[in-house]
Amino acid sequence: MKNIKHNLVIGWLYPELMSTYGDRGNIICLQKRCEWRGINVEVKRLDVGFPYEQLATCHLLFMGGAQDNQQKIVSHDFSKEKAKELKKMVEDGIPGLYICGAYQFLGRYYKEADGTIIKGLGILDLYTENPGENHERLIGNIVVNARSMLHVARRESSTSHALPATTHLVGFENHGGCTYLGKDVKPLGKVIKGFGNNGTDGAEGAVYKNSFGSYLHGPILPKNPVLADLLIKLALEKKYDSPINLSPLDDSLEIKAQNTIAKRLNIKI
Amino acid sequence: MDLLLILFGKLLSMVIRFLNVGSGSTWPGHVALSINKNFIKELVKASPQLKIILIAGTNGKTTTGKLIQTILERNGEKVFQNESGANLLNGIASSLLLRSSILSTINYDYAIFEVDENTLPLILKEISPDYLILLNLFRDQLDRYGEVNTIASKWRDTIHHLLPKTKLILNADDPQIAFLGKFRGVLSSTPSRWNNIDTSVFYFGLDDKTLHQTSRQHAVDSTYCPHCSSKLYYKIVYYSHLGDWECKKCGNKRPKNIFSNPPPSQLSGTYNRYNVLAAILATKKIGVSNEIIKKSLKTFTPAFGRQEILNVDGKKVQIFLSKNPTSFNESLRTIKSLGAKNVLFVLNDRIPDGRDVSWIWDVDTEEYIKKFNSVVVSGDRACDMGLRIKYSSEFSISNFQFSMKISNFKFQIEGDLKKAIALGLKEVPKSETLYILPTYSAMLEVRKFITGKKIL
Repeated sequence: MKNIKHNLVIGWLYPELMSTYGDRGNIICLQKRCEWRGINVEVKRLDVGFPYEQLATCHLLFMGGAQDNQQKIVSHDFSKEKAKELKKMVEDGIPGLYICGAYQFLGRYYKEADGTIIKGLGILDLYTENPGENHERLIGNIVVNARSMLHVARRESSTSHALPATTHLVGFENHGGCTYLGKDVKPLGKVIKGFGNNGTDGAEGAVYKNSFGSYLHGPILPKNPVLADLLIKLALEKKYDSPINLSPLDDSLEIKAQNTIAKRLNIKI
Repeated sequence: MDLLLILFGKLLSMVIRFLNVGSGSTWPGHVALSINKNFIKELVKASPQLKIILIAGTNGKTTTGKLIQTILERNGEKVFQNESGANLLNGIASSLLLRSSILSTINYDYAIFEVDENTLPLILKEISPDYLILLNLFRDQLDRYGEVNTIASKWRDTIHHLLPKTKLILNADDPQIAFLGKFRGVLSSTPSRWNNIDTSVFYFGLDDKTLHQTSRQHAVDSTYCPHCSSKLYYKIVYYSHLGDWECKKCGNKRPKNIFSNPPPSQLSGTYNRYNVLAAILATKKIGVSNEIIKKSLKTFTPAFGRQEILNVDGKKVQIFLSKNPTSFNESLRTIKSLGAKNVLFVLNDRIPDGRDVSWIWDVDTEEYIKKFNSVVVSGDRACDMGLRIKYSSEFSISNFQFSMKISNFKFQIEGDLKKAIALGLKEVPKSETLYILPTYSAMLEVRKFITGKKIL
């Protein structure tokens, strides 16, 4: 497989509406890390009104966060067919990254402060509650130990590697909603410093098959190349139906950036 | 009681300055307000001759404020402003306190207050300004405010309750801002009433096809109709979400009768044309003559950190405050038009800068990096900015070094700001310019190192 040029199509869901907190940096990161390895990448922008059939042409999906109004528009656009198609693809193992608002949206429901229940896509076994204005938002730099989940995912992808120097995730969270995981999903990692999903159970994010949800901005991928490379690897392996070894890149700047925050929080990663 | 607070406040301010622990620009007001929450109201009431101008918006408050002050002073008025950055309630209270005489009167003709976005509704409960200037709303410091839409709707509620004496000066090219004009008094969200002319609402905006931007910048807010949420159509885009906009669904569109053609000024950049328009419109309404306005523009020197030029060892340093995606994009666009070859980006994440630096990925650095010969990055989050540049480069920088040179492009990461400034200057040929794009606290530090003086 060495001399074959690999191609990848990344489906970017609602880039105009759900791109509030620098989330496009995740797309930029995935794109560049593929290019630097000679992997051809096409980014498909799937905006309001996109035909649901477009989803199946993608090998990797990404959806970011949004302001409330924009999120409502997205909700309306996600027709029954789109929801069904996405659910099928997730069950089938399509790799995907869902940040903040998208992470919540893929869950079963979102309960607002006044008790109103907003239905989610029901793809991930989790729900989110907003405890109301009297509770502080969960905001700040966050460090997560994602070693076990990344390790498991990598093992399931059929190539064994020594684990990289760090499987900590470093980012910035900013959410009012508190997310609680059901039994069918695993957390992305354990919170070392910060709040995580709900500030109480020590879990951050969620993983189900090859779908990753998280509250981490930063954005999450540029400072955490391990996760970026895992997503690329999973996407290529699913597309080409064979084990893939990505050539290593120099991530020393990424590690230094992570350490800037870790040092501040007195954490060794 | 207020007299005591004034005396105490002045004393406190002197002590703080003497001990050099900061500018003392918010403490006196903070103390005064905690003791007497009606402090601002009472002080303003005691000086009925004082006219108040409030300026709010994400970008441009300081420059617009300085422009207005320059024009009014040339017209013979006595004017004071709150210190830039001291734009919350305590800063405004301090400003009033420090200018008060022993008799609790403020012997000035005009007070100009730049007001932080979230503070605007609060200050309007204490003060009924003579002029309220609303410049724009962009994403800024997301960890403090969360959402542009939330601020816009808070402003809408506030505008509705303004007294008739307050003249509104609004940016017609910003859909959210322009829409606020419709919430004045009885006029509300009924489309059929939108063409009613309110004599106390005035609009400024650009009218220059040559400034049209063909490629849309990424970090664009408010591209949806503030009334019906449909996507807005733009005939012309000036920058970010500012332009000649229209909602084809509900008929909401850019107001007509816009003040548009400013005389030339010393300031570069499309974004500064708006600041100039806002200042001219406000001072025209006050009654200043065109001649005085023109003269003031000719001699205007930029506010600190906003295109300010400093001289260092036979070379020039020009600082462009770049604190959110829009202002960073506009800084890049402006320095490119000025022929910039050597730049220094300084990224901090302290409270005034916003603690979440994710926003730098909403800046279109890819477009501009290739124009520069030398890029140095510094600040508390130098490595994050370094990553942004790494991923922007058209070179295949997969094996990245902290200091590297590829063909003509030199890139360096230096966390120590003093060293970074030196590195940046080293790359600049004699009598040419190092362009520095810092976040707010970084800008204060840069100035401190270069001028040797602490400013805030």
